[in-house]
Amino acid sequence: MLLYNRSRFAMTILGISLAYFLAAAQVGLLVGWIHTNSAIINHAGVDIWVMSKGTRTLDYGTAIPRQRIQQTLSVPGVKWAEGMLVGWVNWQHPEGKRITVEVIGLDNGNAGGPWRMSEGDISAVHLPETVIVDELSRQALGIIELGQETEMEGKRVIIGGFSQGVRTFTAAPFVFTSIENALDYVPYYRDDEISFVLVNCENAAEVKSVRDRIAMEINDVEVLTTEEFADRSVKYWMLETGVGITVIITASLGLLVGVVIMSQTLFSITQDHINNYATLLALGFHQKSLRSIILTQSLILGGGGITIGSLLFVISCQLTALSPIPLETTPLVSTCLTLFSMLFCVAGSWFSIRAVFKLDPVSVFH
Amino acid sequence: MKNVLVCRGITKSYGSGNLVEQVLKRVDLEFSQGEASVLVGPSGSGKTTLLSILGCLLEPSSGELLVENSAVNFSDKSSLTEVRRQKLGFIFQQAQLLPFLTIDDNLSVVGRNAGMEQTDIDQRVNKLLDRLQLQPLRHKYPTQLSGGQRQRVAIARALLHRPSIVLADEPTAALDWNTGKTVVELLLEQARIENAVLVVVTHDTRMLPLFDRILSIADGLLVERQQTAATENTFYTETNLDHPPGL
Ligand SMILES: Nc1ncnc2c1ncn2[C@@H]1O[C@H](COP(=O)(O)OP(=O)(O)O)[C@@H](O)[C@H]1O
Ligand SMILES: [Mg+2]
Repeated sequence: MLLYNRSRFAMTILGISLAYFLAAAQVGLLVGWIHTNSAIINHAGVDIWVMSKGTRTLDYGTAIPRQRIQQTLSVPGVKWAEGMLVGWVNWQHPEGKRITVEVIGLDNGNAGGPWRMSEGDISAVHLPETVIVDELSRQALGIIELGQETEMEGKRVIIGGFSQGVRTFTAAPFVFTSIENALDYVPYYRDDEISFVLVNCENAAEVKSVRDRIAMEINDVEVLTTEEFADRSVKYWMLETGVGITVIITASLGLLVGVVIMSQTLFSITQDHINNYATLLALGFHQKSLRSIILTQSLILGGGGITIGSLLFVISCQLTALSPIPLETTPLVSTCLTLFSMLFCVAGSWFSIRAVFKLDPVSVFH
Repeated sequence: MKNVLVCRGITKSYGSGNLVEQVLKRVDLEFSQGEASVLVGPSGSGKTTLLSILGCLLEPSSGELLVENSAVNFSDKSSLTEVRRQKLGFIFQQAQLLPFLTIDDNLSVVGRNAGMEQTDIDQRVNKLLDRLQLQPLRHKYPTQLSGGQRQRVAIARALLHRPSIVLADEPTAALDWNTGKTVVELLLEQARIENAVLVVVTHDTRMLPLFDRILSIADGLLVERQQTAATENTFYTETNLDHPPGL
């Protein structure tokens, strides 16, 4: 119906695609943020996490005896287990200021460590006084090159490598090293303590029963599957901290504004043609013919706009993949977003159809 | 066929309570096949109201409308649409063509809506474009046409699906005298060829001699002036249709 006016058509599609992009980008930020929250947990490649009771997130892991690793290993169904240590310490920025960093101490298998390196090798964490930091925190940490030295908690550290894509959503960058090194820096851990036991099961199908068995055999710990722990971490950051709630509100508003613009665009395009619809009604076109014209139109415009908007979004995801604030999505989120947007497009047209049908066909005579 | 369109005791009031305005007091009318009538009256006298009722666009307050001998059920919207779709052709003050369709498509869309066969539509469009001298314009868009050309397209559109009744509300109001006269002459000629009942509302008394019947409306009453061949254009006898002579 409005294909005849090319520039108007193009503007409408553009408007819808930008509105969709706005909504997708806001939701994409939220998804990216959620992924960031649980990135280390999900990338560790283990099945089960053993931690002190009431641990709310990886970042706030507290001390448990190192002996728990051995105890865990003796539980039937456990194939492999190793430790991990998390602590918060001061980092001496070469320019003089001190910042807080989150130290992750890795065991021999490096589980829970960086999953992609840009410079150096992950095994460097096992060298004395050596740490790996992320490309994204070079500036925050004041680090320029491999081999550079500074101090952590008043003791020397050497940069042994750079990881890629390990983002922080707190102000504190991650610093990876070995458990042995970490114990030298983190003041509030005794030498026989760690924060987590990371477990792989012999049989992937038995993860839940192994989890229950570990929980039965070891006192004073909480045992979660990777999925449960990631969930708990995300929920903590999202629902119990101001940052998370802000991110959620921003995403919801972005989504709302986006879909409202989409439906408003489709509503007004029909309103612009309301005289023509009145004429068609007077000439004896049935409501169902007009309804299908208007709905087809909204599907073409909505579908086209959403397609272009998705393309913009995919490009933005790629462009931001290595940035501190990535746009990300999952198939489920994309599907829901598309359906939700289509729904609002159709709703916009539906309301405009109602306005058309409320028209007095007599109005054509005036 | 006689009595293609019949009004019996039609009244129309607008508003409610103390603000009721009775626009049509009582209209009894019969139109037979091929008959061309002109409806005149001061502004606000109810011409559009009457035409809208005849066109099944507006429900009368009381009375009955018969199209081809069957009473129109004004409470059933889709049957009204059906009557308009099959039996009626409309011409408005502005041509109201669809701006996004070519002249050709503006015509054929009406044929398709009326359920005509595509070959029939094509022949019919061709014939009407010929008769209204619109052939050279058929691939243009309405905005590329003059007002008179657009009204000629509107005539073709009104006749395309072979309606038995064609209604036109001030089809020349937006045109200059010469163009308007040509449009009305074409409209009359085409309606006669099609043997359709034609009712045209106009302000312009110079058009009156062109029609078979002159209906004049004032103060809610419809009066027919007899057009006598000998004194055409100068002399009318009046008959109040509420009290037809001989009753
Ligand atoms: N929808 C309406 N609601 C209320 N009054 C109306 C409506 N349509 C027309 N009228 C009134 O009915 C009278 C006749 O209007 P109309 O039929 O348009 O006259 P004409 O076409 O002869 O100028 C006018 O007084 C007008 O104000
Ligand atoms: Mg009028």
